Amino acid sequence: MARRILIIDDEDDIREVAALSLETVAGWEVETASSGALGLARAIEYQPDAVLLDVMMPGMDGPTTFRELRKNPATSHIPVLLLTAKVQSSDQRRFADLGVEAILFKPFDPLTLGTQIADVLGWE
Amino acid sequence: MDSSREPEAGQAALKEALDRMWIKFLPQIKERVAVLEAAAAAFAANRLSAEERAAAHGAAHKLAGTLGTFGLDEGTILAREAEVLYADTCGHDPVSAARLIEIASRLRTIIESRM
Repeated sequence: MARRILIIDDEDDIREVAALSLETVAGWEVETASSGALGLARAIEYQPDAVLLDVMMPGMDGPTTFRELRKNPATSHIPVLLLTAKVQSSDQRRFADLGVEAILFKPFDPLTLGTQIADVLGWE
Repeated sequence: MDSSREPEAGQAALKEALDRMWIKFLPQIKERVAVLEAAAAAFAANRLSAEERAAAHGAAHKLAGTLGTFGLDEGTILAREAEVLYADTCGHDPVSAARLIEIASRLRTIIESRM
């Protein structure tokens, strides 16, 4: 059965390329949301196997969205991978301390994004 | 991963679709470079407002995250350098201003060469 991924990112180019990559190369089902608030609602309904979550978003940012996902019993079990263009080690430590499954970096390679996610989550 | 898919067919389809997306998002990408060009010129003239600096920092951050995804790794490196310069430089700094003009110009060349 195909994996189900929810991508939450306010940048439409990143959102669309990531979705394209996971659908076309990995063969997964993908849903997207353009904000943290929309992503929370979508995660409850869609029950994805994992969430790919942007860090810097206007309104509810990635870390806040992550904490809300963890607080809600309907989404607390869903693995979350942060997606960020921040490469400074202080930022990376701050994000790792949140308790996310992994931090993936922008730019990502559309050819290998699915493999990266699968490796981190131990998916076959 | 879904092993029933043919990896090569998926990769070819992805490459084609990426080229279509590049065309779709090119106006947005060019607009971000235009923000960097305007900010660099304002910085060199010592009239960069806080709003322009924030907009340039945001545009550089987004370009850094996007360009490499379309295979433009040099673009990501340059945009990241601009992001750091806009975050760290306070007051008038002719050396940084000259570098920011150079980066914006090079980014435009890189982007136009992919078309």
